[in-house]
Amino acid sequence: MEAKVMLVDDEEMIRESVELFFQSKGIKILTASCCDDCLDHLETGFRGVILMDVMMPDINGWGTIRKIVENDLYEGNIIVMLTALNAPDNNMEGLQEYVSDYLTKPFNPDELMEILRYYFSLLNGSEPSNG
Amino acid sequence: MVNNNIVMIGVSTGGPIALKRLFSDLPPLNAAIVIILHIPPGMDYKIARSLAAVASMPVALAEDGEYLRNGRIYLAPGGLHLRLEGNSRIILEEGGKVNFVRPSADVAMKSLLKPLKKRRLIGIIMTGMGKDGADGIRHIKKIRGVTIAQDQETSAIFGMPKAAMDTGSVDFVFPLKKIGKKLVELLN
Repeated sequence: MEAKVMLVDDEEMIRESVELFFQSKGIKILTASCCDDCLDHLETGFRGVILMDVMMPDINGWGTIRKIVENDLYEGNIIVMLTALNAPDNNMEGLQEYVSDYLTKPFNPDELMEILRYYFSLLNGSEPSNG
Repeated sequence: MVNNNIVMIGVSTGGPIALKRLFSDLPPLNAAIVIILHIPPGMDYKIARSLAAVASMPVALAEDGEYLRNGRIYLAPGGLHLRLEGNSRIILEEGGKVNFVRPSADVAMKSLLKPLKKRRLIGIIMTGMGKDGADGIRHIKKIRGVTIAQDQETSAIFGMPKAAMDTGSVDFVFPLKKIGKKLVELLN
């Protein structure tokens, strides 16, 4: 089954817990620990919902989105930011149109699923496949 | 065909779901609804399709030269600014980004003219990053429109509503559900 969700987060514990959460929902997920991993997944064909952590070392979430756009890898994806911050900083300027939603950690699993289902329906008229 | 009641909504991050929630609860309104959502080209028709699936009013991407019709929802296409000519005719144009975005709510709202007597003009700023729409709300207030901002609790990001409120030109700050109720009260 093809993964339709990618989590980009530098914290291994977060990646593992989110992966477990999605597995419990029967949804396959790809994980990336940094910008380069994320770009690799996109270059090898991932298209779907990208859950992007804002605060990462080296290239943060905003920088990663800039790279995605500059490399023409945005189309076919929807980006949802995950952040511990209450409000975005100025680094987001110019990236508004590429960020469809913004979830503050710790996020409510039901809210995450509602958002995910909605964006799947936007992308391809269906919900994330199970199995 | 000049001067319908007009509702103009400026919205950004968190907007797709917020718009779906707002319009799924709304009956048909006695107004033309124009939505300026910050989205790239390619996503716009998908958002319009998803809104059409839940709204009680017809939803379409705005087209250049088209005249607004009552009871319809128009979504500005990604990558183009939208202006209204004479509060009735849609003009789509390229131009540079404003507030780092295109379409910009400021551009659309500042194109509005003072409405004729007995016509309503309502400007709404919903969830989103940045400050787009703040100048537009100031303009709408100046031409005697009604202005509304989404509250912090129901906004994914409070940046745009807060910037609008900081102008001192916002009449009402409401959670999403109450925005819908207020629209019904003002228009129907």
